Amino acid sequence: MREPVEVAVLGTEALGAYTLVRVAGAGIDVGSPGQFAMALDPDAAGYLARPVGVFRLEDGEVAMLVDPAHRVGGLGGARRLRLLGPLGHGYDLTAAEPASTLLVAGGIGITVLPGVPLAIGGRPRMLAAFRLPTQAAATALVDADTRVVLAPASVLDALELAAITLVLGAGPTGLMHALAERCAAAGVACQVALEAPMGCGFGACYGCAVELDGATARLCLEGPVVDARRLAVAR
Amino acid sequence: MTLLAGLRLDHPVLNASGTLDAIAARDVLGDATLGAAAHVTKTIFPDARPGNPSPRIAETAGGMLNSIGLPGPGIAAFIDDVLPRTRTCVGVTPVIVSIGGESVSDYERLAALLDGVPGVAALELNLSCPNIESGCISIGADVAETLLVTRRVRATTALPLLVKLSPSVSDIVALAAAAVDGGADAVTLTNTARGLAVRVDTGRSVLGGPGGGLSGPPLRPLALAAVYAVRVALGVDIVGVGGVDSLATAAELLAAGATAVAVGTATFRDPTTISRIAAALAPPTSIEAR
Ligand SMILES: Cc1cc2nc3c(=O)[nH]c(=O)nc-3n(C[C@H](O)[C@H](O)[C@H](O)COP(=O)(O)O)c2cc1C
Ligand code: FES
Repeated sequence: MREPVEVAVLGTEALGAYTLVRVAGAGIDVGSPGQFAMALDPDAAGYLARPVGVFRLEDGEVAMLVDPAHRVGGLGGARRLRLLGPLGHGYDLTAAEPASTLLVAGGIGITVLPGVPLAIGGRPRMLAAFRLPTQAAATALVDADTRVVLAPASVLDALELAAITLVLGAGPTGLMHALAERCAAAGVACQVALEAPMGCGFGACYGCAVELDGATARLCLEGPVVDARRLAVAR
Repeated sequence: MTLLAGLRLDHPVLNASGTLDAIAARDVLGDATLGAAAHVTKTIFPDARPGNPSPRIAETAGGMLNSIGLPGPGIAAFIDDVLPRTRTCVGVTPVIVSIGGESVSDYERLAALLDGVPGVAALELNLSCPNIESGCISIGADVAETLLVTRRVRATTALPLLVKLSPSVSDIVALAAAAVDGGADAVTLTNTARGLAVRVDTGRSVLGGPGGGLSGPPLRPLALAAVYAVRVALGVDIVGVGGVDSLATAAELLAAGATAVAVGTATFRDPTTISRIAAALAPPTSIEAR
């Protein structure tokens, strides 16, 4: 049986408005970009584990980016973590070419993207949308040709799909739906990493319900990355 | 060995209904039962149900609230598809099917449909879900209705019957006694307690449903009180459920009078919980020890 792995937190640092949590990387399988792990701080009062994107840094350490303003931000105070993962389905990158792939990140959604450039063998373009200028510091985690869009400007206005054959999105549900529609209209393949409250990460709690193909599905099993056409059907 | 409602179990630790999908657990974790001595299914209703709107779960001090709303495929698809696949996943582990309905006749019908279906070891009547509008807890909060539904199901099937009650009732002993009078072989104490979390900015429930069910460690004292009260009053088998997440907390419910315990929310936190407790309670007998 797969079990949670306990790791020591090596350091926690501010990355603009977010917090980067670095843990010992030995023995951790971070999976493919878009997959996630359930992270539990066994010393904290919060009872449930939280879903996090986990990625490997250049020095072999493993890291997570958390938003102190959210529930998951509590992990920023952890001395040790129990990680269960990798879980779920990540991006299908078999057809991804760096020159024609566009990453679209909304806020903390960027945390599932750092592994993409390595996985596709080059620097893609990235549009990264944030509410606050200090959040844009997170773009340093993704080796991409990046353009930042700050609220109230809309990332959709900055979306340029002419030379793009594949869009990889990650972020809030509303943005992902809008992105799915734009890509469908332009005939561009699109995969989106969705967000939902997750209690377990392995299909047990039914907390992570989302609408896919017009029916309710458990995001931890079917996603978090889904083909964007599955959202378009739902609308 | 544990004898529960006539079932011979390897040890006294089960999963709580609605907190373990054996098929998903097998696929994702490589273990369908997570070590439970019997597998309890999610409560199944006569018809397919979509469940409640999101958000369906929220953390609360030391535990959680849920308003899942019992999504499921309905009994026909359960018998034709989900149950056979579940049986394949859990192997020889007995399967206890949890049933729910909006009326006494719903329960009766489900029991009739499940009676004789291969692989159903027992039925658990969920008379206690706080997250649906009619039936279920409105039956299980009423002594006469609890007696009636148990009696009618008892007349329908010879399968061992467990009746699962809510802690959010005024007289748990009277309800358990009604279940026993009606023919229940065991009572499961308890389901989640009725709870609520409110968003201060909107004045509305944090969850998509009107309220939620409280589970995890905050529920433990309520479950203990229910188990103890029923144990003192009645000689019936009891499955203790509520905040079990360690050997110590399982032992506390067993000491209060539970015949077995079931683990729910703690499995979400750590999927090894059931097997750890089971191993601590029933260490595999070594050759020397025999
Ligand atoms: C997410 C969730 C879903 C549940 N679904 C069901 C269900 O379908 N049927 C049922 O009888 N109880 C259900 N329960 C209640 C549990 O079986 C159990 O009685 C309760 O959670 C208390 O145990 P715990 O503190 O170990 O979680 C559910 C509980 C949770 C947290
Ligand atoms: S997170 Fe529990 S079912 Fe998906």
